[in-house]
Parts: sequence; structure tokens; C-alpha cells
Amino acid sequence: MLKFALKNMAIKKMQVILITLSIVISAGIAVLAFNVATQVDEGITNNAGYYSAIVGPAGSSTQLAMNSMYFTDEPVGTVPYSIVTTLQQDSRVTQVIPFAMADNYNGYGVVGTTPAFLQSKDLRVGEMFAADETLQAVVGSNIAKYNSLEVGDVIYTSHSANGSDLHTKGITIVGILKESHSSYDNIVFTQLKTLWEMHEHGEQEENSAEEHHHTHGTVCAVLVNTKTPGFAMQLVEEYDGKIITADDGDNTTLQAIEPMSVVRDVLNDADDTKYIVFVLCAVILVMNIMIISIITLLNMYHSAKEISLMRLIGISMKRINLLYVIQNGIMGLCAVILAFFVSRGCMVLMNDYVESMGVVLNMSKVYAAEFLILLAVFIISVLPTVIWTFSMSKKDGITD
Amino acid sequence: MIQIQSLGKQFQNETQITYRDMIFETGRSYMLLGASGCGKSTLLNMIAGVLSPTTGTILIDGKDMTAASQKVKDRFRIEKIGYIFQDFKLINEMTVADNIGILRLEGIDISGMDEMLEALDIFEKKDAKIKHLSGGQKQRVAIARALVKRPDIILADEPTGNLNFAIGEQVIRQLVEVSKGKTLIAVTHDDRLAKYFDEVIDMNEMTSGMQDVPSGKEDC
Repeated sequence: MLKFALKNMAIKKMQVILITLSIVISAGIAVLAFNVATQVDEGITNNAGYYSAIVGPAGSSTQLAMNSMYFTDEPVGTVPYSIVTTLQQDSRVTQVIPFAMADNYNGYGVVGTTPAFLQSKDLRVGEMFAADETLQAVVGSNIAKYNSLEVGDVIYTSHSANGSDLHTKGITIVGILKESHSSYDNIVFTQLKTLWEMHEHGEQEENSAEEHHHTHGTVCAVLVNTKTPGFAMQLVEEYDGKIITADDGDNTTLQAIEPMSVVRDVLNDADDTKYIVFVLCAVILVMNIMIISIITLLNMYHSAKEISLMRLIGISMKRINLLYVIQNGIMGLCAVILAFFVSRGCMVLMNDYVESMGVVLNMSKVYAAEFLILLAVFIISVLPTVIWTFSMSKKDGITD
Repeated sequence: MIQIQSLGKQFQNETQITYRDMIFETGRSYMLLGASGCGKSTLLNMIAGVLSPTTGTILIDGKDMTAASQKVKDRFRIEKIGYIFQDFKLINEMTVADNIGILRLEGIDISGMDEMLEALDIFEKKDAKIKHLSGGQKQRVAIARALVKRPDIILADEPTGNLNFAIGEQVIRQLVEVSKGKTLIAVTHDDRLAKYFDEVIDMNEMTSGMQDVPSGKEDC
């Protein structure tokens, strides 16, 4: 039966290829949209809930949250390090993590912080940089992989994005993070003092004017955890809009945010987009279902002569039903398997875009709902044949 | 033995054909002659279980096939009857072997295919597609498919209808040869082929009422 079904498909190969492609496109789009939207959603949410509040310079709250949690965009600006000290002395606060972002290594961002910033991340090899040392770094897994870096190697960061303006002081890699499929895979983490040291050196250079954001004693943001959510709200109220005066007499206006609410706003916007994408996918899917059904029914209509011939020589409708269900089942199965791999291929292409949101897509991440989508598409691809042959059985196409 | 008793068929266009009682003995060959529309093909279709009679019975080896379910008729047709159609009923895009291989869908043994194709001088075309064969070759493939399962009854509806006389005569000679020992009922217009059959039945005398036959169609 299977052999005959394959032979029968071979003689209609163009038709078979077109139907299969049609199913691949519709199923591939549906699976891709679902997987990417879910991974982006999960990636953003997982990072956002970790900190109670973020204090930084006045400006865009989204930019402050996205930069300090997902390393996207440029820092809003800098605030004096004295804010860190003040917050550390606050009894409502349990954890204070300074955050600065400057320079790059081969295009990868460099973050100056404390080991506490990476406490939730596992090291694949090596150890965490020491809080009281300088010029040590822990690098993300992608950086190590694509630059063939190992523990003990020395890297040179640069002021400029094209890497032409290298710092003369090297940073020794002491550890490499385990792959986390997040933006942490693409960042160099070092001590805050390392960044300051680099920029003391930078200030001596001719183009030091470009580096005014990262002068000694400043940070881009301060990540804070409080004893209770209520204390976080109090801190945000206190620090948001507060003006402080630095040692050099410059006034800085602060902003304080609750990252979860900022990210929730971002996600709400993203959700609207996601739903639009889902609706479009649904429309495409429905159209494709109709096309698949019409093509399949036309296929069956054209096969009516073949069916009638088989009936005349005595092949039962039961066997004929089975033959066509097998044929369409093979097409549907090949199509959904192809659709799965096509969706993964598209994810590779989409990764660069999604990385800008601080999320690295994991190709091997598969959701149960994806199988449901593929199963639904498979059933839809076989169903018209079953209905057609069932109705043919009822009528029994040979008599009178 | 096939017994036709009080058989009648009414079509949707109100045309009705009534058959006189007939008996086809096992192991003999019969040629049905008659004008277009006299009911020759209809009789073959009813014996094969492709059409259901409106009245009367068809007894095959004593069993009333008209009362049987379509499933039983299908099984009987695939196992016991070799039906050769005027227009061959072959799948053009498939090879000779695959067209005969269709029977395997119902578990029919086709191990005698090569032998049958050789007997019909068509073995060298076994792997050729039907669309590349001549009319005579197609007819031989249709005969091979009908006979490869070693049926008890062979029904041939205008087996030479699409062939010139020389080729048609050769096909009939081969058909009668390979059908020896079985019941062969062949419908034809050409009385020059009568010499190859044990008995010739003039269907004009065996039926009353005529079918409307579309212009150009000879299968009544």
C-alpha cells in the first residue's frame, strides 16, 4: 500500500510539491511567530523581575531599564558614585549594585559592576572577577566562542565602535559564563574600577571629550533590591526627580524606576505588536488552510477517474480511502517536519534583530504548543481527503 | 455456471431493458453480438456487480449475486472476475507493472504477471508507461491485468473495439487461448471473430427495449 502510494505520488510530483510547500509556509510562519514571541516575552520578563528599583540619571525610563538590565541602547548618562554609598547605608535596602557601561571589545559591550551583578549566572570555566582587584573580566559565552578566548587571555577594549582606539591596558579573562541564551552571552563584565582606570587613562588622550560620560567616580545606574516592595515604592518616590550635587559642584537630576512596571509597559506595547502578528499569522493560516483544502479537493476531483477505475476493477472504497489518506498523510507529515526546520532557520535570521531587545533566541527551545500547531496543520492537510473519500464511500461511485 | 433469470434494468432516463433467461456454462467461451444499445455491456456490468439489476436475479454457481452487498460484490469481482474494458481503464502515467500491481492493494497474488505478459507478447513493455504504448499493447495489458489473478469468469467488453481487425483478431486469439478452462463472455460487433468462441449469442434476440446510446459510442 505504502509503495503504491509513493508511486502514485511520484507521478503527480509537481502537485505534491506545491501542496507540501503551501503547508510548509503556513505551518512554518505559525510556529515561528509563536516561538519567537514566547521566547522574547519570557526573556524580557525573566530579567525584569530581579530588581526592586533602578536609580539613574533623568531621561528615558525605558532606556534606563533596557540599558541596565538588557545592555541595549546607550546609557542615559551618569550619576555620581556617592548615590551608591548613600543607598548602601539605607536600612530599607538589601542590595546595591553599581552599573556602568562603556567601551567595547570587538563590538561587544563592556559593563563595569560588582560580582553581585552576576550572582544568578553560572560560570562555565574559571572564577568570578575579584571585587577589590582591577583589570579582570568575566566574558559571555558567545564572546569566548566567537573570539576563541580562554581563561588567562588578555583582551584590549576600545573607545570607538570600530575598535581603532584601543586602550593600552589589557584586561585578563578570569572566567567565562555558561551559555544562557540571553544578552549576558554577549557582554564583557569587569570591575567598575577597571572602567574608571581605563578612563583616567582615556582622559589623558586627545579625544577625551568623547568620554565625559564615564569619568572617575560615576556610574550609569544603580540597581537596588529592597526588603519589601513597599520600600521600593518609597525609594522611587524619594529619588525620582531628586537633584544632587557632586563633589565638583555639578548638579545631577536623578530618576528612579521600578523596572517591572517599565518592562510591563514595554511588553504591553510589544504584546499589541505580538497580537497583530498572531492575527496576521492566523489570517495567513486560515487562507492557507483554505488553499490546502481547495488544492486537496481539486486533487481528489482529478483523482475521481483514478478512483472510479480502481472501483471498477474491484478495489474497495476502504482500500482507496486508506491509499489517499496515506498519500496526504505523507505530504502532511513531510510538510510539518519541514515547517519546523524552516521556522528554526528563520530564527537564525531573526536573532540579530531580537538581540537588540536583550534576548538571544534559543533554536533548541521547543514549546508544546508548537507541536499542537503542527498537529493541527497535519490534521487539516489530511482531513479534506478523509471527508472526500468518506463521501465517495457513501455514494459508492461505480453503480448506475 | 452463470444463470440469468428474469433480469431487467431500468435506467434513470426511463429506458428499460429486459433480458431473456440465459445460462453461461463453466469452461466455455461466449461471444455476445448485437446492435448498439441492446444491453450487451449492461449485462456484463450486472454480472460483474458494477451495476445492480432492477428486476430478476443473477446466479453464479448457484449463489444469488444480485442480493449480495456491494462489499461482497467487490470482493467477488476482484477475486473471481477478470473484467476487460473497451477503454482499457489503465492509469496512463503508471507503468504496465504498476497497473497490474494495483491488484495487490486487495492482496491479490500477481506472481504470474511475467508469465502472463509473455503469453500476451508484452513482457518487454513491463516497465514502460501506459501512455507510451499503442492501442493493441494497452489492450494486452488490460487482458493481462484481468487474467493474472486467475479468475473463474472473464468478461470482455469490446476488447477489440479500439483496434484494427488484424490486431483485434490477434488479441482475441490470445484472449481465448489464455482463457481456456474458464468462462469467457466477450461483447463484440465483429462477427468475423465468431470462429474463436464456443458459442455466439445474438443479443438482439435475447433482449427487449433499447438503451439510448450517445453518438459515436458503441458500448450498449
